[in-house]
Amino acid sequence: MSFYQTEINRIKDICYSNDQQLATVIAIRNFIDQHFDGELNLDLLAHMRFTSRFHLLRLFKKYYGLTPKQYLTIKRLEAAKKCLREGMPIADTCYRAGFDTPSSFSTLFKSKIGVSPIEFQKRATFAK
Amino acid sequence: MKVKIVSIPVLDQDNALDFYTNKLGFVKKHDVPLSEKNRWLTVVDKEEQEGTEVLLEPSPENFEPSRTYQKALFDAGIPYTQFNVDDVQKEYDRLLKLGVVFSVKPTAMGTVKIAVFNDTCGNNIQIVEML
Repeated sequence: MSFYQTEINRIKDICYSNDQQLATVIAIRNFIDQHFDGELNLDLLAHMRFTSRFHLLRLFKKYYGLTPKQYLTIKRLEAAKKCLREGMPIADTCYRAGFDTPSSFSTLFKSKIGVSPIEFQKRATFAK
Repeated sequence: MKVKIVSIPVLDQDNALDFYTNKLGFVKKHDVPLSEKNRWLTVVDKEEQEGTEVLLEPSPENFEPSRTYQKALFDAGIPYTQFNVDDVQKEYDRLLKLGVVFSVKPTAMGTVKIAVFNDTCGNNIQIVEML
């Protein structure tokens, strides 16, 4: 067994020995993946797993290094990028990816991706 | 500052280009001669060609400490870097059929599943799927 394989086993034992917690956070992440385009909030997610908002928030951050809200934003931005690459209009992209309004979507997109949705779409079209 | 390039040391750039494009599925972005046998050679994700480039850097051939470091990591089974995939098992099956050799088979590790393969250029590379 290589040094790396030994380390994998060691880290698994130290960090990932609580199967119940893992099942909870993985289920929450999968739920976000499947419903990112709808209305999601911490109460709904916590209710799903019969746990408290605070406990869920703490667990999700412990295992993924992000809050559910941060993860949801990343997921929505990924979906938006895919739509924009496919040539979808900005407003349609906004709603398809689960954002509320085109203006808040554009502001968030620019702050996270570095360019506006329209500029991103132009570059993606040009790169084809 | 922006992250535009990450580099991977490779023993042979021709072999690296073949492996990273024909086996892994990246596409060549830049290929600029820098000297008789060295090139500025980058590949990118096929679906995100405007994204971060991977520089296939011939440092082990040109700088002995780089070769020593690369070999030490390889011998310990430690991945030089990692790439994200949607499905580790599917990618493992696909690469296995192409003759790629794995040192770590698909293994669940907490909130991720990983596998590690030999890139034939002197490195172990890890693929990761978020669970």
